[in-house]
Amino acid sequence: MPIEPPPLSLYIHLPWCVRKCPYCDFNSHAAEDEVPERRYVEAVLRDLALDAPLAEGRTVETLFLGGGTPSLFSPESVARLLDGVRALVPLASGAEITLEANPGTVELGRFRGFRDAGVNRLSIGVQSFDDDKLKALGRIHGRAEALAAAGAARTAGFDNFNLDLMYGLPGQSVEQARVDIVTAIALQPTHISAYQLTLEPNTLFHQHPPTLPDDDVIGAMQDVLVDELQRRGYRQYEVSAYAQDGHQCRHNRNYWEFGDYLGIGAGAHGKLSRAEGVMRVAKARHPDAFLRTAGTAAARASIRFPSRSDLIFEFMLNALRLHDGFPAALFSQRTGLGLRDIEVPLRAARGKGLLTLDADVIRPTALGRRFLNDLVALFLPSDQSQ
Amino acid sequence: MSGWQQEFIRNFSIIAHIDHGKSTLADRFIQLCGGLEEREMQAQVLDSMDLERERGITIKAQSVALNFRARDGRTYRLNMIDTPGHVDFSYEVSRSLTACEGALLVVDVSQGVQAQTVANCYTAAELNLEILPVLNKIDLPAADPERAIREIEDIIGIHARDAIRASAKTGVGVPEILEAIVARIPPPRGDAEAPLKALIIDSWFDNYLGTVSLVRVIDGRLAPRDKIRLMATARDYAVEQIGIFTPKRKQVDVLSAGEVGYIVAGIKDVRSARVGDTITHAHRPAPTALAGFKEIKPRVFAGLYPVESSDYDAFRDALEKLSLNDASLQYEPETSQALGFGFRCGFLGMLHMEIIQERLEREYGLNLITTAPTVVYEVATNKGDVLRIENPAKLPEPNHIAEIREPIIRATILVPQEYVGGVIGLCVEKRGIQKDMLYHGRQAMLTYELPLNEVVLDFFDRLKSVSRGYASLDYDFLEFRASDVCKLDVLINGDKVDALSVIVHRQQTDYRGRELVKKLRELIPRQMFDVAIQAAIGSKIIARETVKALRKNVTAKCYGGDITRKRKLLERQKEGKKRMKQLGSVEIPQEAFLAVLKVDNTK
Repeated sequence: MPIEPPPLSLYIHLPWCVRKCPYCDFNSHAAEDEVPERRYVEAVLRDLALDAPLAEGRTVETLFLGGGTPSLFSPESVARLLDGVRALVPLASGAEITLEANPGTVELGRFRGFRDAGVNRLSIGVQSFDDDKLKALGRIHGRAEALAAAGAARTAGFDNFNLDLMYGLPGQSVEQARVDIVTAIALQPTHISAYQLTLEPNTLFHQHPPTLPDDDVIGAMQDVLVDELQRRGYRQYEVSAYAQDGHQCRHNRNYWEFGDYLGIGAGAHGKLSRAEGVMRVAKARHPDAFLRTAGTAAARASIRFPSRSDLIFEFMLNALRLHDGFPAALFSQRTGLGLRDIEVPLRAARGKGLLTLDADVIRPTALGRRFLNDLVALFLPSDQSQ
Repeated sequence: MSGWQQEFIRNFSIIAHIDHGKSTLADRFIQLCGGLEEREMQAQVLDSMDLERERGITIKAQSVALNFRARDGRTYRLNMIDTPGHVDFSYEVSRSLTACEGALLVVDVSQGVQAQTVANCYTAAELNLEILPVLNKIDLPAADPERAIREIEDIIGIHARDAIRASAKTGVGVPEILEAIVARIPPPRGDAEAPLKALIIDSWFDNYLGTVSLVRVIDGRLAPRDKIRLMATARDYAVEQIGIFTPKRKQVDVLSAGEVGYIVAGIKDVRSARVGDTITHAHRPAPTALAGFKEIKPRVFAGLYPVESSDYDAFRDALEKLSLNDASLQYEPETSQALGFGFRCGFLGMLHMEIIQERLEREYGLNLITTAPTVVYEVATNKGDVLRIENPAKLPEPNHIAEIREPIIRATILVPQEYVGGVIGLCVEKRGIQKDMLYHGRQAMLTYELPLNEVVLDFFDRLKSVSRGYASLDYDFLEFRASDVCKLDVLINGDKVDALSVIVHRQQTDYRGRELVKKLRELIPRQMFDVAIQAAIGSKIIARETVKALRKNVTAKCYGGDITRKRKLLERQKEGKKRMKQLGSVEIPQEAFLAVLKVDNTK
């Protein structure tokens, strides 16, 4: 069964930050001197020019400028970047164009500039409104900046913005987590992402772990969070994502629905469905290496063609994150495989009460959502046939 | 070709506590007598198995034939016969000593006399061996030779004033020891013309030669192509090869009365050439066998199960190979509802069990679950049968049982006076009956009758902890004795787990049940559901604990980026679970099956 060409998104990575946060395992680098904005924008456009044919004429539905801290870039650079993108790939007229912003790097003028450049959605990494907690997280901003950033976004004309929050912070109580979420809600973003802080390998926190609240406290925080969010009209649609009606993040949703995306910039990952199957491309990770090689095949640090069994796992890893599951048909559309190919793990998952399959919708149960890792692990290649 | 004349032969063993310097001393002897070139002197030649070397103990007896040129200008053949150094192997020790006329008692002067040494010395004294005390490690700053002398005289009861002071490490006093062996240990007095009598000291399996037995010729002569008979089994074999270890293997044409060497005679497995058996000639058999032969019986049993059921065949092969070299290892197929197919294995004691387990895992790469070790119970049924129960799960229903008898040991514990109280408390807790208590200067010697079951659980560790490591223990099997014991079952989410059943004394059921479920609660990780752990006697639940369900197991962030990292995380989680056993919907880690051993008795 050939894979139908899925919707296409575009991710552009801007890898610099003012400084590296101790919990962050993303491909980000502390900007030591001046960020080479102009050179980087040019490199990104060269990189996109190289990848554009992979889109095979499809329109780009969503664009995400992620980082790092993209808001470190000047509005002029962002404008040049977006103009360049439009010249290289067809961008849908109603495309969602998101830029990640750090409250420590914003001012009203900048936000207006981003808006004028064509950005129509902001994602602001506030993480917390508690000064002590922000300090513990190594953030460069405080409560005042966080509140100001949300205000600036709205004044600049961004009605559609997201606030990133973290919970389960060092020394955090359930009540403190509740105050954070209520503060965020009061700012009326269209979207809230609430992540549990986890200690990832290759981070400072992993080497020097802070004392985090225990499992039960974190569980209680999550219950409180979900409750507050639901009551104020933010519906959970993914593990950590909550949105007002009509404001789910289309870009992220495309990842979870196993759509296609071009990954442009240092360390960016792309996924493309082609006649011969799915292809995954990763770009040179370090900014210097990327700057050197962008526009040539050497910038593609790896190209991978997942096997059938890899594909099953990768699809489930994404799609099962969706709170309401997905149409069974989506599996075939995206992977070119049939439900019979996942009969064994599906049966195991249903047997354990981790998911349901009815009316052609595959949906994780409440238990499956709580134990998503266990559910997804059933679809690991080594387990599929057992 | 008549071999060595007996007046030039000296056969001796070294009696020493672990770490008191036996191996180093043996190395020195070999060096002084030119048994090996300098470059061949691998450290501590006698302990040849890696595990033995790591643990500093000897499991298989070995021997070395040394040529020593004494000050009298004559050359003597010194046969040094190694002895296993642990309580589990006391029978083997007695056979090694039987092959000697004398023994060196090596005492570390910084530590003094230990129980193990005492027990072996008593055995040597009973066998009328000449015992030469050696005070080792006199070069250490903590050396207290006067105290060691007093202890040897008080506790062991031999003169130690003229004990040789030596340091195996520096070599001081070592030539004097060799001279004393020649001067004071009597030569063997066998009759080379009498019918052959040779004692099997040890047997092992060699991949090229088959079964090799270390023997001491008591009377007569042994030569290649002789037709021999093993008296315990009355089976005949043809001698293929005889020889000695120098320590290198060297063939000889004859082994005469008084000599020690090896014999290869096409014997299929080590079980046919049992330690303590007598070898004689088929055409001219000795009228009686040497005394002291015993059938060795395993005393401690445990179920061993491969974690991966597909490893079963490899596991069986590994046991077969190990038992080629270890006549005391028993194994029989066993099936557990909880653990699937495995083997019930019988061991001489806890150390023996640990060694076998470690070898199975290390040398054969097996991943095994071991159930809590248990002793053998004799169960008299109402029908008048007597059953030997090696697995708690197999204990008959209480209404079929007339009486249960448990194995009792006689334990000798040597401990510095200040810890006597703690040791007595421990023995009482372990249902011990005091038989004797003697003070020898600084040390006390306690004799107790103890149920072996209690010793198997955690006695060694506890003894070490109440005495800060100073107490030492030796024991002998005494008898089976009627006891009020019963089976304690464990239920996980309502299902009885056969592999977790233990037999306990009725007085201890409540306490043990409570502690066992508490320990299991610590060992069983939180999972998707609550896990109820119950302890039961018959249908009566006596204790309960719950492992509360985990709140969640979710990856907070996953976007278009690096999927391989998420995958690795999940694979690692899954790998962790592989080491656990799935019982129904509950995952139980391997350690849980040994939980009963880890119950903390310090109330």
